[in-house]
Amino acid sequence: MGRYLVVRAYSMALTLLGLTVLVFLMLRLIPGTVVEQMIGADAIVSPEMVAQLRRFFGLDQPWWVQYSRWLGNLAQGDLGTSWRTGKPVVRLILERLPVTIELTLLAVGFALALGIAAGIVSAVRRDRAVDNVVRVGALLGLSVPVFWQGTMLILFFSIYLRWMPPVVWVDLFADPRRNLTIMVLPALCLGTASAANIARTTRACMLDVLRSEYIRTAAAKGLAGRAVVMKHALKNALIPIVTVAGLQMGILLGGTVVVEEVFTLPGVGRLVLWSIYQRDYPLTQSTILFVAVLFMAINLAVDMLYGYLDPRIRYGE
Amino acid sequence: MTTPWTRRDLLKASGAALAALSVGRPAHAQAPKPGGTFVSAQTTEATGLDPQLVPAFSRSRRSPMMYNQLVRFDAEMTPVPELAESWQISPDGLTWTFKLREGVRFHDGQELTSADVKFTFDRLFEKSPGKSDFIAVDRVEPTGRYGVKFLTKEPFAGLLAALGGFWGFILSEAGIKKHGDLNTAALGTGPFMLQDWKVEQQMVLKRHPHYFKKGLPHVDEVILRIIPDEANIVAALRTGQIHHAFLEDNKNFNLLKDEKTLTGYRSSRLGYDFLNINASRGPLRDVRVRQAISWAVDRSQVLRVAASGFGRLTAPATAPMKQWQLPEEQWMRYYRPDLDRAKRLMADAGQAGGFTVKLGVIPTFPTMVLGAPVVAAQLKRIGITAEIENVEYAVWIKRWLAKDFDLTMNTTPGYADPDTAFFRALHSTKGQNWNSWSVPELDSLMEEGRRTLDQKKRKDIYDRVQILILENVPHLWLFSADTIDFTQASVKGFKQHPMTLLYGFEGVSLDRA
Repeated sequence: MGRYLVVRAYSMALTLLGLTVLVFLMLRLIPGTVVEQMIGADAIVSPEMVAQLRRFFGLDQPWWVQYSRWLGNLAQGDLGTSWRTGKPVVRLILERLPVTIELTLLAVGFALALGIAAGIVSAVRRDRAVDNVVRVGALLGLSVPVFWQGTMLILFFSIYLRWMPPVVWVDLFADPRRNLTIMVLPALCLGTASAANIARTTRACMLDVLRSEYIRTAAAKGLAGRAVVMKHALKNALIPIVTVAGLQMGILLGGTVVVEEVFTLPGVGRLVLWSIYQRDYPLTQSTILFVAVLFMAINLAVDMLYGYLDPRIRYGE
Repeated sequence: MTTPWTRRDLLKASGAALAALSVGRPAHAQAPKPGGTFVSAQTTEATGLDPQLVPAFSRSRRSPMMYNQLVRFDAEMTPVPELAESWQISPDGLTWTFKLREGVRFHDGQELTSADVKFTFDRLFEKSPGKSDFIAVDRVEPTGRYGVKFLTKEPFAGLLAALGGFWGFILSEAGIKKHGDLNTAALGTGPFMLQDWKVEQQMVLKRHPHYFKKGLPHVDEVILRIIPDEANIVAALRTGQIHHAFLEDNKNFNLLKDEKTLTGYRSSRLGYDFLNINASRGPLRDVRVRQAISWAVDRSQVLRVAASGFGRLTAPATAPMKQWQLPEEQWMRYYRPDLDRAKRLMADAGQAGGFTVKLGVIPTFPTMVLGAPVVAAQLKRIGITAEIENVEYAVWIKRWLAKDFDLTMNTTPGYADPDTAFFRALHSTKGQNWNSWSVPELDSLMEEGRRTLDQKKRKDIYDRVQILILENVPHLWLFSADTIDFTQASVKGFKQHPMTLLYGFEGVSLDRA
């Protein structure tokens, strides 16, 4: 196990290093920098002033100098300071992280509940009407883009059902009820594709397991159908489902960017977008890196969970 | 067939609309109730709060909450004393002496002195793009604890406008030296003190207890929330979740004007929307082509689509610049679309067959997005194909500074003085020269206008400047959209300002009875 962790950590570090190069260079490929924005459309500027601003932000240095400076700071645990707000990046992330985590967890919860239930029903009632409905529904859920679904949900609820979630943000702990009313549509929206994915995986795995001999034995032994499905079949079908759900969690974390923008939630996703529009390089770079670390940590945790769910899987032995 | 509306009908109708809007405001003044939290919503977050380093209008709008200027423009756009009690100009017109108000306190409790004013302008001239407003100022010197002198390189009639403009906010020297960063600390003398700022979420400001205007502000706290989608702002106003919002998309006025629980405010804005023409690009170099564009564009149609008709066509000096107005008949005659004339001009310029240009639009500015197709369709009628190009703001600024565009939709919060309004935009060598053009006669007139302190002579100069502008078409003044604000009916004392800066919050009170 220990050795496995070392290997994983090593590969994570390499991936992150690659990511830093990618993020750094991609940002600089977008035309326009913070300097033009600081000057604005209305100023008569001398070349000295432009040079002074470029120097101030270190943009006069060659890219590898800027890159290594950023990397050096990262190595010391310093995510940098946002150019536009003057606040430390880590503080800006922490201010917004609870919103993104809450949204992701709610979406995962919704996806798991709906996906597993639908998958089981669909497998047990294979080729019947309910199975077809689930299969078509899952296909739809996978193919509808999140931004469109979000806009449609807002329109549907506000125009046809005359129900509008509160538009002014409140924290979960300040007013849980109001907060959850705000979160319900975004979570549904974000979780739909994952629910579809989980439903399909659950169905496939359950069908596989339901065909196996020990299930037939259990049924022949006279066990109730529910016990066979829930106790014997589901537990063995769960491992691939956990894999998918774990991966989904990372994907959802990325999906929050779009959902937060559509539903205007003050999470990390919108922070990243804002920082890109503002060309606030330190904020964009470090926030993306932070999300990547989170994504990897979740994946690692999921992998660790296999060993727990299936004692036959033992890492590094 | 419907009867077309005459101008008189329109005026009557808009008068009636404005009168209807004012119903609900108290007929007689009541003593404002102190206390409470006032919540306002904005679609756009400030890109930073430093009044000297952030040019974005989202910053300028917020600055009056935390800072004061030496001089400010009142609702009639007349300069009135603010931190400066009075001022004098030397006979040679080169020295302006300002007497500061005594006993004004910064948020940290320190008293405002001439050293702070000098510090403010030294910092501005050293590192701010705002120094463009003060281009003719040589230096600022204290004269005693409560006096300060502005020494100019030449007589500079635009100084008061610059001081009362977007870059004239006075900072605390001690405060800046202590905190350094002007985004997270409150260092002004303004009515509210910055308490907390969560980017893209909200800004919390507390009442300044030692504000120099006695009895103000009335409310204890102001919260500026960011609600990026204006449809949500409309919903929040209707459901009472916020007290105030400034509408950017004027069509939303119709959605809210009949709500009993809300009070609507509508007035003329100093700013305007315009169409830049790069006079260094291909056929656009020829003044006849630019004139043809001007005759082809029906500005009232652009206004109707881009701002739902809530606004007005405007001369180069917009309606709030009252003392600089040209008589309407003098400028309106340039605005009556005349396709035959436009086509003739195109033919004279050897462009009868037309040509293709790009028309830039920033997608986050509703009036640009809505107005561009109208302009493009109208240009098509004289053979000009304007391909609309959506350009993200940061990229647009980069191209703008490099003069890398053919045509672009544009918008400005406006300028109080004709010097700041025209010189920078249009002077071919000493200004920014937005449209890369040159009309030597106009250059010398604008230079003269800057040096002339006599009001009557200045007015004559800028009347001629405006006519020259209309004839030579550097850019098209398309329209000036109205400023529209809504508050809950329980909000008293809110006032709009032609510059659309948030001056109006210091007088606001909440009627909770």
